[in-house]
Amino acid sequence: MSRLPFDEPKVPKVPKVPKVPEVPEVPVAEVLRAVAPARTILTVSELNATIRDLLENELQNVWVEGEISNARVWNTGHMYFTLKDGASQIKAVMFRSAVRYLKFKPEDGLKVVARGKISVYDPKGEYQILCEHMEPKGLGSLQQAFEQLKKKLAAEGLFDPARKRPLPALPRRIGLVTSIDGAALRDMVRVLRRRYPNAHLVISATRVQGEGAGREVAHAIRKVARIEAVDVIIVARGGGSLEDLWAFNEEVLARAIVASPVPVISGVGHETDFTICDFVADLRAPTPSAAAELVVGRKDEFFKNIDRISGRLDAAIHHRVRRMETRLHVLESRPGYAGFEGRIAVRGRHVSELAGALRQRISQGFARRARRHELLRRSLDQFDPRHRLAAVRTRLVSRDGQLTAAVRRRLSVAGTRLGTLAARIDGLSPLAVLGRGYSVTWDASRTRIIRDASTLTPGDGVSVTLERGTFDATVTKTGS
Amino acid sequence: MADSKTDPTIKDFEAAIAELEGIVKKLEEGDLALEKSLELYERGVQLSRFCHSRLEEAERRIEIVNERGELKPAPASLRLPDDEDES
Repeated sequence: MSRLPFDEPKVPKVPKVPKVPEVPEVPVAEVLRAVAPARTILTVSELNATIRDLLENELQNVWVEGEISNARVWNTGHMYFTLKDGASQIKAVMFRSAVRYLKFKPEDGLKVVARGKISVYDPKGEYQILCEHMEPKGLGSLQQAFEQLKKKLAAEGLFDPARKRPLPALPRRIGLVTSIDGAALRDMVRVLRRRYPNAHLVISATRVQGEGAGREVAHAIRKVARIEAVDVIIVARGGGSLEDLWAFNEEVLARAIVASPVPVISGVGHETDFTICDFVADLRAPTPSAAAELVVGRKDEFFKNIDRISGRLDAAIHHRVRRMETRLHVLESRPGYAGFEGRIAVRGRHVSELAGALRQRISQGFARRARRHELLRRSLDQFDPRHRLAAVRTRLVSRDGQLTAAVRRRLSVAGTRLGTLAARIDGLSPLAVLGRGYSVTWDASRTRIIRDASTLTPGDGVSVTLERGTFDATVTKTGS
Repeated sequence: MADSKTDPTIKDFEAAIAELEGIVKKLEEGDLALEKSLELYERGVQLSRFCHSRLEEAERRIEIVNERGELKPAPASLRLPDDEDES
């Protein structure tokens, strides 16, 4: 910076200086003549002060385009960097007051357009551009800022699906963070009323656009999250330009969502708008109304679902009880149970009666036929005994055959029924039932099953059969 | 109803639904002892009642949080048009 580039095109703007052809020196001389009487000798300080006045007056508001390099922010909050192009560079500074309005983070290599004024630092004879505003070249600065924050938060893992919390099925209270007079709030209230008429809504009103809106939305989220029984929060805003939606791209808001103790649904803008808020929220809804649809199921469907499950519960227990009853009946049919023997006896009697009846019929049939035979024989004897006798005999034999077949069939049916019954009983082990905790209580001699406590008196001995083993016991008390 | 609302053994609506579904599945599949079956059934009925009461217990209400974090009724403008909307 030792050589001041005063031979630049700015020079002609300096107050008119008479040419001094006999002194073809460096242009510095010309400048000196312009501002001071000829041959006045300046101190270095005076020279630099003069230069400062010139530059700072002439270059108060310049736009410059270049690439950022050596950018660093000091702990004062001021940012120092260099702007350069392919052939040249200039020192640059941006004070904290301007830095905080930047919508993007100036990084090395970033091409920017900056507006500022030239400032000269007398003690070192250096100059720099003091930037008041800067925007990325190419991408709009908002877009740039969006991409940068998105990258940063993604790197922190804040968009990880694993971080997303499930929504409660039935939130006790629903927090709505939005503008009190926006269409978004009205839309959400309408949808929620329709789906779940007795929903309890808690509105946390906030500005949703303009300078500082991000901070306010963040504050509104924290406020409503502290309300008791608020189980889920919707952060919503209607559609708008990228600038309108800017609050939802601010880091402070993203951090508030991450810190929320309950899940947050983002319903910002339209279907096609994506904000940082969308990425960091536990669930993204395309619009405020859609967010309201997602936050709670339809009340009637809840009821339907519970009734369906309850119906299955009832059916299952009834089935269970019926099966148990069947098993009890089977148990009663076991040998050793009085009921069984009776039933078998009934069946046995039935079969034997059937067989007896058949036998009786057969013999009756024979007797009848014998009688008829006798009658015929007598009449035949009277008329033409041989031929007629032969004919009658044939018919008799045939009839007998038919009768025997019928008896055999009926006996066989009865036998099959008996066999089936026996097979069924053998297939059912009493242990299967005892295995479920049932026991059989016998009298002390194990000849009779105790079915009625009133048949016992304290002091009686009983014997109990369990799934595994038996034991004897003494009755100490009876009850009904 | 009142006791099922405050039942300390039921965490919340989701937990109740999940437990109820588990019970139904067990009853439908399992060859449980009768006593255990009845026990589960009773618990199931209790859970089902809890869910019903939870669905009805929320109050139809819109409130707004003020700066001090207190709940106040929301402006009437937010409630009335909406109530008329519903048919």
